[in-house]
Amino acid sequence: MKRLLLSMIIGVVASSAQAACYADYKAKQDAPLRLHYGVAELRDECSVSAAKAELPERLAVENWQLLNVLGTFDDAGLDDRKESAGEYFLRY
Amino acid sequence: MNTSSAIESREIGNRIVVGGIAAIVVILAVAAVLLFINLPDANAFNARVEWLFVNNDDLTSNAEIKLLEILAGSGTAFSDTLSSYRFVIFVLLVFSAALLVAAVAFLVMLIALTRRMGQIERKGIEVNSLMISRDQKSVYLNNFEFKLTSAAMETLSVLAEARMDDEVLSGAEIEGVISGRNSVDCDEAAGATRIKRLRDTLGNQMVSELLVKNIARKGYMLAIDKDVIRMV
Repeated sequence: MKRLLLSMIIGVVASSAQAACYADYKAKQDAPLRLHYGVAELRDECSVSAAKAELPERLAVENWQLLNVLGTFDDAGLDDRKESAGEYFLRY
Repeated sequence: MNTSSAIESREIGNRIVVGGIAAIVVILAVAAVLLFINLPDANAFNARVEWLFVNNDDLTSNAEIKLLEILAGSGTAFSDTLSSYRFVIFVLLVFSAALLVAAVAFLVMLIALTRRMGQIERKGIEVNSLMISRDQKSVYLNNFEFKLTSAAMETLSVLAEARMDDEVLSGAEIEGVISGRNSVDCDEAAGATRIKRLRDTLGNQMVSELLVKNIARKGYMLAIDKDVIRMV
């Protein structure tokens, strides 16, 4: 009982210290042109400009090029976008 | 005065020819450059699809994105055919440039040739070939055959040899070469006599061939077209 309480407290503290933040974005590959819509978790700050700064290098690992960031959201918006993002859901 | 103006006009003509050919090449080069600039580049379709993708926020579902990719792919295939067309057009341009240049060059050559033909017609006898046949004792000027005495033959040979070396011989030198003596010991008049004899025999035959013809057992006749005779 005591241990459960402790873990709950820790969980609350952890989630409040770092509320999960996600951004959905569009990216492309050249020659041949490939496009994708994806969702990624933001590690630093929770804003579109932060996403624009953060995502390019993560996408560049597999030669994706960030086109634009549509917006940021938290856990609540995650499920709506899961289907659209498909395999690129939280991949990078 | 007349001559200098003729030379001038020829120089101007040459300059015009060079200028004309250069102008053709420049015009076609400019056309080629414009062609390459104006044809849509291979990436135009991809850029267009990408623009659509970025500017429509609701184009996010997997199927829509796949469709966009297919669209871009077919566009790229079409742009490949476009670039092959471009190459074909470029080859045709090069061909047309070569043909135009050749046409201008031939035109100029034609004009020069007709001019030259006119000059030749006016000039009368122009020696294009001189063939000396020692054993037959005859000389062929162009296609006319003239019989020469052996003395005249010697003189002509000496003159021909001197001409090939771009030398001018005095009468004494001619006599010296033919007689085998030192030219200092020879008489100038002896050489002059040889030249006179050569001129007489050759000139006589030439005129009889070209102007006053002798038709055997019939008589004499001018060997020219009657249309060209004019009395002043």
